[in-house]
Formats: sequence, structure tokens, C-alpha cells
Amino acid sequence: MENLFKENIDLKILIPIILLLIISIISVYSATYDAGASIYFKRQLLWAGIGLLIMIFIMFIPFRTIQLLSYPLYGLSMIFLIAVLFLGKMIAGSKSWFGIGGFGLQPSEIVKVTTILALATYLSQGQHVLNRSRNITVPLVLAILPAFLIVLQPDIGTAIVYLGMLLIILYWAGASNLLMMIFLAPLAAAIATLFGTTPFFIVIVLTFFILLFFKENRVAAALVFSITVLISVSTNYIFKRLALHQQNRIITFLNPDADPLGAGYNVIQSKIAIGSGGLFGKGFLQGSQTQLNFLPAQWTDFIYCVPGEEFGFIGAFTILFLLMFVLYRCVQIATIVKSRYASLVTIGIMSVLAVHIIINIGMSMGIMPVIGLPLPFLSYGGSNLLTNMIMTGLLLNMYLNRKEY
Amino acid sequence: MSDFYENKTRRLTFTISIVIIFIIFTFRLIQLQILYADVYGKKSEANSIRQIAHDPIRGLMLDRNGLIVVDNHPSYSITITPAEYKEDILEYIAKLLNLDTGFISDKIQKGKKYNRFAPIKIKRDVDLKTLALIEENRDKLSGVSYEVESKRYYPTTARATHLFGYTKEISDRQLTEMGNEYRPGDNIGATGLEAAYERYLRGQKGFELVTVNAFGQVLGSYNEGKNDIPTREGSDLYLAIDAKLQALAESLLTDKRGAIVAIDPNDGGVLALVSKPDYDLTLFGSVTPPEVWNALTTDESKPLFNRATLTRYPPGSTFKMVLAAAALEEGIINTNWRVNCTGVFHYGTKIFHDLHTHGSTNVIEAIQRSCNVFFYQLMLKTGLERWSRYGKEFGFGSPTGIDILEENPGLLPSEDYFDRMYGKGRWTQGYLVSLGIGQGEIGVSPIQMACYAATIANKGSYHTPHAVLKIKDKLTGDMQIVPTETRKLNISDKVWEILREGMYRCVNEPEGTGQAAKVKGITVCGKTGTAQNPLNRDHAWFIGFAPIEDPKIAICVLVENAGFGGAVAAPIAGLCIEQYLYGGLIRNNPLQVISASNIEHEQNIIH
Repeated sequence: MENLFKENIDLKILIPIILLLIISIISVYSATYDAGASIYFKRQLLWAGIGLLIMIFIMFIPFRTIQLLSYPLYGLSMIFLIAVLFLGKMIAGSKSWFGIGGFGLQPSEIVKVTTILALATYLSQGQHVLNRSRNITVPLVLAILPAFLIVLQPDIGTAIVYLGMLLIILYWAGASNLLMMIFLAPLAAAIATLFGTTPFFIVIVLTFFILLFFKENRVAAALVFSITVLISVSTNYIFKRLALHQQNRIITFLNPDADPLGAGYNVIQSKIAIGSGGLFGKGFLQGSQTQLNFLPAQWTDFIYCVPGEEFGFIGAFTILFLLMFVLYRCVQIATIVKSRYASLVTIGIMSVLAVHIIINIGMSMGIMPVIGLPLPFLSYGGSNLLTNMIMTGLLLNMYLNRKEY
Repeated sequence: MSDFYENKTRRLTFTISIVIIFIIFTFRLIQLQILYADVYGKKSEANSIRQIAHDPIRGLMLDRNGLIVVDNHPSYSITITPAEYKEDILEYIAKLLNLDTGFISDKIQKGKKYNRFAPIKIKRDVDLKTLALIEENRDKLSGVSYEVESKRYYPTTARATHLFGYTKEISDRQLTEMGNEYRPGDNIGATGLEAAYERYLRGQKGFELVTVNAFGQVLGSYNEGKNDIPTREGSDLYLAIDAKLQALAESLLTDKRGAIVAIDPNDGGVLALVSKPDYDLTLFGSVTPPEVWNALTTDESKPLFNRATLTRYPPGSTFKMVLAAAALEEGIINTNWRVNCTGVFHYGTKIFHDLHTHGSTNVIEAIQRSCNVFFYQLMLKTGLERWSRYGKEFGFGSPTGIDILEENPGLLPSEDYFDRMYGKGRWTQGYLVSLGIGQGEIGVSPIQMACYAATIANKGSYHTPHAVLKIKDKLTGDMQIVPTETRKLNISDKVWEILREGMYRCVNEPEGTGQAAKVKGITVCGKTGTAQNPLNRDHAWFIGFAPIEDPKIAICVLVENAGFGGAVAAPIAGLCIEQYLYGGLIRNNPLQVISASNIEHEQNIIH
């Protein structure tokens, strides 16, 4: 009996996630303790409970059914995304919520899952040679359509998630290194340009040497290199012609310290919160940064500094370890499963979690731009938590059906 | 398929990436929490930035001549900061401020939930003596401080209670609805223009950035105040009212119950809006004592009730122009159509009376003398459908859209209405006879009546009445003009001339019922009315406008339980018109007119 349980349920993914949920509830409780916002705590508890039930439900859906439903679900979710643009509620300057009763529902969250399913379905059908432009087009459209609709809301953070998801899934599906370079090199060069001349040259030189390895296709490599140079030069050209306040916005986006009262205020306060936690932290409900509400709405995007301050390095490291272990386990599951579809779904989920984790924790520690993305399993918020639990259910499902083709 | 899994490079790439990110983040954590823990620890203890909100100055209100009618005065509020406050001074503070200890504890408890480092207002508008006592004992009273706020002040004699309205402390419910813009203890417009133009009047809070220590105590300003956000003053409202006219109109209704509304027939601007009895707005200046509030709400004469927009009385004979307009415009009668008034009118078994025997009367004379028999007959000839349609054209039965929000649409019966009330076919034309003279199942408000008068004055343009003409942004100096909404009535000039002729004669010729409204040197037009009141004395109505050549003011006067409109309401209207057009009263004995009018002596002035 015990063996059967172990055989079917991947405890290596389930246990870390349940631990993260417990930490989440403790952190939300602490972050909203003083603001009289215990309603957040109760809701988060409720969402976690509902999330676990949904996770169990998803885990036991027949594997084939999920595969069959992938395209229809994707279509349905696109309709929702379009509808929210017209019928959605404005919250914090962004029109991405459906108001249902007292709760808001954010379709862009669940669309991540349906997009993963659709991409996995397409890329698992037959043997696609991903370097043919025709075969690249469909996955590109599948990912860019929801990203575009979300940018309209506008929600840049979630759009970045789609970009990350697309690149990681394509790579796993067998895209060549050259194809990856076509995506990555110009992007890296453009961002480096904004940081100054030296980073720009470093990226250009690096690109050049990497491209030297593509011996079998020198023409394409040369093309990629010229595109990279062209894009970074034009980025610089466009940037210099922007209005001063627009330039400033980009500068503070990349370097929050430049604006200590706008975007920088949160980062400075977040760094102070985490840093002042020290090795062992200030103790539960004892964090002055958290309890004095230096960070607005800390229970959402800046949740990481709550345990960081109150439980110190021990707490922050434990969370980091658990999250990274979940990512690592996803890669393992993706190699265990027999079905190409299951493998791609698993990697897709890993990609979404990874982008959220890297951006969110990086932002909290002041080494990433401030992009409003929640920390998976920890941040307060129903739509996001439910989506994460659905993804967990899918991971468990893939593991349960790992022997199926 | 198989080579897909055998691609160990891809798996390795991911694993290595995850490990690298893990290492980078761990190093960053070590850097922040172990290597620089002391630095950040000190920062969190000693040097953090906090925002302090400052309230903006509320916008003023000015009358049409630029006179300030609603102003601000400083007021001092005692505050307590929960984080610094200690329980042992509770008794002393309560005694000093003459407050209940439970009340103070309760306020502190509530404030703690919101932010225990934000001062809570415990008592508003304290006198200078209390303030001095607090200042003297400052070292003992930890956490107790004061804030300078502004309270409303009304420099002119115009009270305009129901027009200006008052502000009050924001309620818990409003606080959750309004979100970030308000804080507990903020004032918010509650009635009248204060409520309707809250968005413009309140301005924007300013924020001062200060450095505070871990206990939330302020250490000094941040970055020399360079990053502070200044408060933005509320916008000023330029009103259409004439403060002098308003004050006079109020005095004319002293000790009476009723309403006066005067509007500019050219744009619908509200020149005066009086509802009596009223109350002193300064009682609401900053904080309302509960005993005052209780007295006002339980007062049998309902001073809080805005009679100018919320009452719903039958209009009486003032409504006759609606029927006349319908019959004339639809070609049912012309000025040659005459009725021989014998003083009574038989319909079936019912008898309807007139107060006089007018003899042979045409429509102009019928308006002039307010002949009931004429309009009984005309109503039967015209029918409910047309009468109701024209009533609707004049704006009856629906809100006027005046910019002070609270308004009663009144009741204008239609065929549908009677079908609903009595059943289809179960009502007869006999039901209509009273409607012909504005009695029975019909209800109008003084503001609707003033608009009606204005529409006759300007020959067919129905302007939505509005108290505010312009809004001045204090920061940019921009003047935003409140647009006039106008609806053109489908009635020909010939008909307007007939109505105006009747109303002119009503005031200016013998046998006119509105002669008491006459003003020397000005051609006043008007119509009297008396609303039958089965419970008590009748309500007196008068509507009018002046001068006929180029109307500048249209007015409606309603005096409750006062008897005949011609005797009570008409002279009040006359004085208001005189005040507005001459800028003051020119007659020698203005008060005599009013006192005389209280006695219903002039027997020829009826209906």
C-alpha cells in the first residue's frame, strides 16, 4: 500500500510545495498583521485549501483527456482574454480582472497553463524540424497571441513570462543552438546597450565568439551577428531620441536605485528588510520593516522580504532552496516521462515558475528590475495561487502517467 | 522520439542553469544578510523614509459678482498617535477635552488597526485655551499633538443652507468605497454643492517625506524636502447665485415654510435657492455636536429637507399655461374661442366651483384672471394625452438635472398612469377636470416650476438648471466653464406670445390676480396659484419672470399653508425681482408689503 502511494505520487514535488504553502500563509499573516487585514490571511488559507483540492482533481484526470482538451481550452482562454479587455475591472491601472462577487478573477494567470498545453500539443505531433520557419511560426503565434492581449491590459510582467516560456519550450523541443541565438543575442545586446558602451561591447564580442562555433552554417551565423549589431545600435538610437522622462523611466526600470522614491523606494525598503534580517531574523511578527508597513502591499509582490526579515538567512535560504528544488525536479520529471507531450508540458510549467521566481526574488534582492510578478506559492492572490496549484496537479498527473506514451 | 530523450545536453543545460541561479541568489542573500547585515540593520533601525499626508485647502464658492460666499477658517484638532501614547494619561486627556474615556480608547483602537504611527483626530475644532493647555503639558502628554485644519466659514448673510450643503467626517463605508484617496478623519461633502462638487472642491493631498526610526518617530525631512509632493488646493466654484438676492429671499421667508427658486432664463443659472426653515451651516463647520443633529432630525418642520427640490405639491393655477400651450399649439382653440364663466361648472353629477363669475373669457383673459371654468372646459376639449405630453415637454414628472443631486421628479399623470392606478377604462374624463387647473393627482417642485417659468420667459428653451457656472483650477488658473444644456420646446412663437400676454396682464392690469408682484419701472409677468391642501391651509404659489422685453430672472415662490398665491407668494416674488434687477429695494416700505400680504384682505386677488 505504502509502495503504491510512493509509486504514484511524486512526493519530491508535493512536499516542497506544501512546505511553501505553509510559509506563504505564515508570511501573509505577518505582512497583514498590523494593517488589520487578517481577511487576507483567511482568504489565502481558503485559496490554499481550494488549491489543494483542485490539484488532486487535476492529478487524476485521464492523461489522454488533458491532451485532447489542450486546443479547445486554449481557444476558450483566448476568448476570455479578449472579453476581459472589454468587460474587465480596472485595478491598479490595469484591466486584467473579472469581478465576480467580492472576488476578482484574473484570466491571464490561467492562460499560462492553457498556452503551455497548446504549445506542448503542437510540438509533440510528429517530428518537427524546428529550424524550418514554417514550423516555428505556429508556436510563435500560440505564445505571442496571449502575450499581446496581456500587454494590452497592460501587464508587461506576464508578457515576459510568455517570452521565457516560448524560448524554454522551443529549446526543449529541439530547437537548434543557432535558432536560440537568433532570439537571445539581439535581446541581450539591446538590454546591454541601455546599460552603457562597455556592456554593449562585451555582449557583441561574446556573441561573435559563440557564433564561431556554428561551423556548418556560417552564412546564418553571420546573419545573426549582423542582426544583433543592428538591433543594439538602433536601440541606442531610439533611446537617445526619447523624451527625457521616458528615458528616465527606462533608466529607473533597469536601475531602481536611481529613483529612491518611485520604483526605487520599494527596492530600497525590500533590501533593508532582507538585509536587516541577518542570519536568524528578527523573529515572527518582530520585523520592523514588515510591521511598520514600509512596503506598500508587501503581501503580494514583495512577500519574499517578510520571511527574509523575520526568519533571516535561514528562512530566505530555505525558501530559495525549496523553489529551486521544485524547478530541478521538474527537469527530472521531464526526462522520466515517456510521452513527448508530457515532457513538454512539464518543461513549460518549469519555465513559467522559473521566470516568476527569478524575477521576483531578484527584484526583492535588488538585482533585477522591478516587474510586478508574484512569487509562486508564496504571494497573496487567489488567481495566481490556483494557477500554481493547477500546474502542480499537472506535474503530479504527468508523473503518475509517466509510463504512457 | 528516442533521440529527444537522449539529448542529455539540454537536460544538462537546464540543470546547470538552475544551479547557477541558485548559487547567484544564495551569494546575494549572504551578501545582504550576513556580510552587510549590520549596515542594513542600522538602516532599518535609524533611517527609513515615511510619507506624511497633508490635507489640501478646500475650494471656495463665489457668487456671480465675485463675492466669497463659502470660505475657510483655521481650526485646531487634537490628535493622538497610538504608538507613542500611553494608557496612564487617558483620564487626564479625557478631562481636558471633556470627552468620554471610552470614546477615546475606541478611537485609538480603530486607528491602531489602520496605522499605529499615524495620528488620529480625537477632538476637532477645540478652543485656543484647550490648545494652550495641551502645549504647556506637552512633555507629559506623549503622543498627544494638534493639527491645523480648515473649517467652513460663511462671510455673507446668505445662508443658502440647502444649496451650499455641508461636509462631514468620512464614514467607514465611504472609506472602503473610495479607496486610497481618503483617510479616516477626512472630511467629505455630505449635501448640496459640497457633495455634488466634492471631486473639484477637495483638491489633492500632499505628501511630505520624512526619515523615521524603527519606532516610527520622525527624525527630519528627507532629501531636504526635494521629493515632497505639494498639496493641491481644491478648485473654486463660481456660482450663478446673487448673494444679495439670496439673502433677501431668505429673509422674506422668515418664520414661514416654503421655497424660492430664481433662475436666469438665459442659461439656467440658479440665482437664488431658498428652502425654509433652514439651519445654520456653521453648526456643521467642522464637527456636529450630536444634540444639534438630533434637534435638526426630530424637528417637526424638517429643516434638513430641501423644499426647493424635494417637495411635491399640486401646482394649482400656475399650471394653466401648460394646458393653454397644448390647446393653442395643437390648434384646438385660438384666442377667439370664448367660454362664458358663470362661476360654476357641472360635469355629470359633480359641481366644480370658480371663486368668481368672469363672464365671457378667452385664453388670455383666463390666464390673467385665473378663470377655472375656462380651463375645466379646455381640459375636456384637449384631453389627457396632449396635456400630459406638453407637461412633459416643460420638464414635469422628471428631475430637472440640477447639480445638487437631491431632487424629487414629482408626478405628471398620463393615460398609462390612470390605467395603472384605476384599471383600463375604469376612469373617466371627470378625473381630468381638476387637473385642468393643476389640482389633484399631480406633484411638482419649486425648481421645476422655476424652469417652467424660465422656459416661457425665453420662449421655449429649456435650460437644465445649474448652480455652478465656472470652476477655477487653483494650480493652473484654468477656468472650466460648466456647459449649459438646452432643449428646445416644439411650440411656436405665436403661442408663447399669447401665454406671455396673459401673464403680463395677470400682474399689470386690473382684474389680474398677480398684481401684488408689480414692480415700479419693470414689466413683471407672472401667474398665481393655490394648491389645495385637504389637511391644512392651502399652499401659495407664484411663478413669474421679468422684464418681459428681455427676461433676466425667472422665479418661483412657494409658501406652505399660507393661503392664496396672489396674496402671499406674489409680493415676495415682486421684491425678489426688484432686488435682482435694481441691485437693491427701491420702494419705500418693503416690509409693509410682506406684513400686509399675510392678511388675506384683497378679495379680488385669488387663485
